[in-house]
Amino acid sequence: MARKMLIDGELDKTSEEEIHYDFDLFVIGAGSGGVRASRFSAQHGAKVGICELPFHPVSSEVVGGVGGTCVIRGCVPKKILVYGASFGPELEDARNYGWEVNERVDFNWKKLLHKKTEEIVRLNGIYKRLLANAGVKLFEGEGKVVGPNDVEVIQLDSTKIRYSAKHILIATGSRAQRPDIPGQELAITSDEALSLEELPKRAIVLGGGYIAVEFASIWRGMGATVDLCFRKELPLRGFDDEMRAVVARNLEGRGINLHPRTSLTELVKTENGIKVRTDHGEELIADVVLLATGRAPNTKRLNLESVGVELDEKTGAVKVDAYSRTNIPSIWAIGDVTNRMNLTPVALMEGTCFAKTVFDGKPTKPDHNVVPCAVFCIPPLSVVGLSEEQAIEQANGDVLVFTSTFNPMKNTVSGPAGASDLMPRCDRLFTRYAQL
Amino acid sequence: MAATSLTTPRLGSSLASPALQTLRTHRFPIPFLSFPLASRNSPSPSPSPSPINRRFSTAIRSESTNGAELPPKYDFDLFTIGAGSGGVRASRFAANFGASVAICELPFATISSDTTGGFGGTCVLRGCVPKKLLVYASKFSHEFEESGGFGWNYEAEPKHDWSTLIANKNAELLRLTGIYKNILQNAGVKLIEGRGKIVDPHTVDVDGKFYSAKNILVSVGGRPFIPDIPGSEYAIDSDAALDLPSKPTKVAIVGGGYIAVEFAGIFNGLKSDVHVFIRQKKVLRGFDEEIRDFVGEQMSLRGVKFYPEETPQSIVKSSDGSLSLKTNKGTIDGFSHVMFATGRKPNTKNLGLEAVGVKLSKKGAIEVDEYSQTSVPSIWAVGDVTDRINLTPVALMEGGALAKTLFANEPTKPDHREVPSAVFSQPPIAQVGLTEEQATKEYGDVDVYTSNFRPLKATVSGLPDRVFIKLIVCAKTSKILGLHMCGEDSPEIVQGFSVAVKAGLTKADFDATVGIHPTAAEELVTMRTPTRKIRSAPSEETQDSQVKAAAKV
Repeated sequence: MARKMLIDGELDKTSEEEIHYDFDLFVIGAGSGGVRASRFSAQHGAKVGICELPFHPVSSEVVGGVGGTCVIRGCVPKKILVYGASFGPELEDARNYGWEVNERVDFNWKKLLHKKTEEIVRLNGIYKRLLANAGVKLFEGEGKVVGPNDVEVIQLDSTKIRYSAKHILIATGSRAQRPDIPGQELAITSDEALSLEELPKRAIVLGGGYIAVEFASIWRGMGATVDLCFRKELPLRGFDDEMRAVVARNLEGRGINLHPRTSLTELVKTENGIKVRTDHGEELIADVVLLATGRAPNTKRLNLESVGVELDEKTGAVKVDAYSRTNIPSIWAIGDVTNRMNLTPVALMEGTCFAKTVFDGKPTKPDHNVVPCAVFCIPPLSVVGLSEEQAIEQANGDVLVFTSTFNPMKNTVSGPAGASDLMPRCDRLFTRYAQL
Repeated sequence: MAATSLTTPRLGSSLASPALQTLRTHRFPIPFLSFPLASRNSPSPSPSPSPINRRFSTAIRSESTNGAELPPKYDFDLFTIGAGSGGVRASRFAANFGASVAICELPFATISSDTTGGFGGTCVLRGCVPKKLLVYASKFSHEFEESGGFGWNYEAEPKHDWSTLIANKNAELLRLTGIYKNILQNAGVKLIEGRGKIVDPHTVDVDGKFYSAKNILVSVGGRPFIPDIPGSEYAIDSDAALDLPSKPTKVAIVGGGYIAVEFAGIFNGLKSDVHVFIRQKKVLRGFDEEIRDFVGEQMSLRGVKFYPEETPQSIVKSSDGSLSLKTNKGTIDGFSHVMFATGRKPNTKNLGLEAVGVKLSKKGAIEVDEYSQTSVPSIWAVGDVTDRINLTPVALMEGGALAKTLFANEPTKPDHREVPSAVFSQPPIAQVGLTEEQATKEYGDVDVYTSNFRPLKATVSGLPDRVFIKLIVCAKTSKILGLHMCGEDSPEIVQGFSVAVKAGLTKADFDATVGIHPTAAEELVTMRTPTRKIRSAPSEETQDSQVKAAAKV
């Protein structure tokens, strides 16, 4: 049956020919964007196939899992670890409120790790069921694009199967990148960090973005000594400068050692742990070194260039228009692989809009304006709208800035004098509104 | 501080304002009394003369606007009785607008009475603030339990020392009451410690000293009410509950409102054995029905025992000191404490209000118009004493609006619509707008979206905690009529969303808002399918088509 599709209001002439495709839509990558697009397209009546790599907590070129980064090695496990890490500092507060808690409180990392794994496996199962319930056909294996309307799936036994599809959606997400530093193979990325066998006693984190800052907080909350090294003056480049400073102060208040304007030049294995050298000539030693210097779109093995799909030269991201369409009319892309706003709810939005555009006759552009987001450092940061710097740059008139910095009520109950080795916390709540 | 009335031009312009027009039409029959400096500083006059007959030196003022005449001289432009949320806000802001202001307040004590209170009022000293500190303290036991699932292990179960908590709480109260005094002084408001009583429309008596004012603001708040049943002397109220010498081992809480429910959570969290006796079938009458059910369930799961449809009849103290509570359904023994949280009443006794002609409601609340003016034109009232919406931010709003009306030449009505609020039960509740019942009655056709889910934290902790979220949408306009949430962090979350509800945003606006992941709050912008659609009786149109269908037309 021919499916009519409106592209910018014009009826697609090709649909007048009775071409048989195996699928109306074939999606490569079953993460947040891919699953959302598949389900909603199927609900609009499309016949949908989706492929995804076999499940593994640590991703690679050949392993991934239904649910994608968010569910398996991103948002969800991260939040579980943040919860786990937050309980530690809570104990200090509890004592101030009259609770008599043992000096010796144990933290069993393996128990938390086990719970985390249970949860991501559970969610992985739920995502598979969601797809099945929507009537989406799931294939396990590595997908490649072999033509404007053809994909190839390399199954686990290495056999290759081809499918034809009226539309192909790339939703393969992104992966952590390792910087080219001598000894970097001794270090780990966020994937491994979420699945470490042993909790590090000493950790070094390289990076200034949200991933670096979140893991620094997680390990510190679990009792580790943490050194955070980043290139700029403050972490979280791109965020409002005042907020970056507040975050830095809060991290320091929690006992994280900040090393601004610092890069690592070398990692060396020693008996005592991993020794790193900084570009200031300093030497630090740790059980674990986390490289959180950025993620890159997963486009290397998709064979996109041979089909003519344009990629961004610098990042490898798939280039798309406002409707998430590539330069090849039958090939689309959403989510982290397009490197627009790398957030799950944005990928969900892009997927929903894609399904509406292609299968519901309602061309819908995802709206990337005024998208809120959060960084789950401890305490967390959350923002929506422009930073003060952006507001000033973009404003036509004057900008009013309202700020409030205060000690939240919970922290005003001060503890008894000489309250042992509790780390000083200077948590302050900081809100600001930039009003154009 | 020298008494100065408003400068003449200001007085002229403010007299022109609509609110103060009423001053002219409702002029008090007795001619203006003015008080020369001498009488202000003189020792207190003979005890309790009739207020209406009180005279000092009098000067009868005509309404002539002859420039040579000065306006009546008062000690203050504004005299405020009661330095709680409303009183302090009104006084500060009035002073900032240039008014000369005095405020009186009873001396500080943790327990309120006819002679004790304290700067800061109920909220700061025996309400919102200490309540929240106790809620924080009591939440830790649940957090200890949660943390077990996350790998934390305490060799011995943490024990709570009540006296440490109360000592820290009281230290905080002292700090805050000092801050409130400073705030007032820094604004140039004169602080007077003592019991204020109205003598006439422009005179306040504070422990025998007389002060005259162009305007008097009554903001004395409310106090807990304990019904008069046999043995009620053994019962404690919320004031006492916040300052007990020791923690209750087994406590009966009589009442189903927010105070009862919050204290139930507090004592339960601190490991007391908690029994709650409510007159109704469920707690929190007036709240959305589904929220009432949900919070009752969640509290029961945490160990609170509820006794619905029971009314207290008497309390008996036994020889070992424990208390028995007899209700219409039976008697339960062994309570270390019986707490009554059966309502609060406005603090209007013995203020001189009736004598001066200020109208009170049956409950004893001061009746005010939209500008917070009482039946006596120079007397105003804000906050709990007016029993409108008894919340600190509302008292702040009413106080701020009054200051604007009186001293900024901007008559301002406080807006009591879509006021969000929270109950700090465990788990807490927060809401803004209408309940489903109210919305259905007022709007007829509504779509209800609900979500009842296990938050991520609970899937790992293994505890039976759940979150309940509800959006009530006008089917015709898609406007959000009500938003309700029960679960961890509800108050913080709903504060944010209440801006949207107050702004009149629609379901489409909510749907267009991208969520923050992973959070519980993102649920509010991702509810796609209505749980139920409520439609009023079918319209004539529908009936016609049904008839037509039947006739096979």
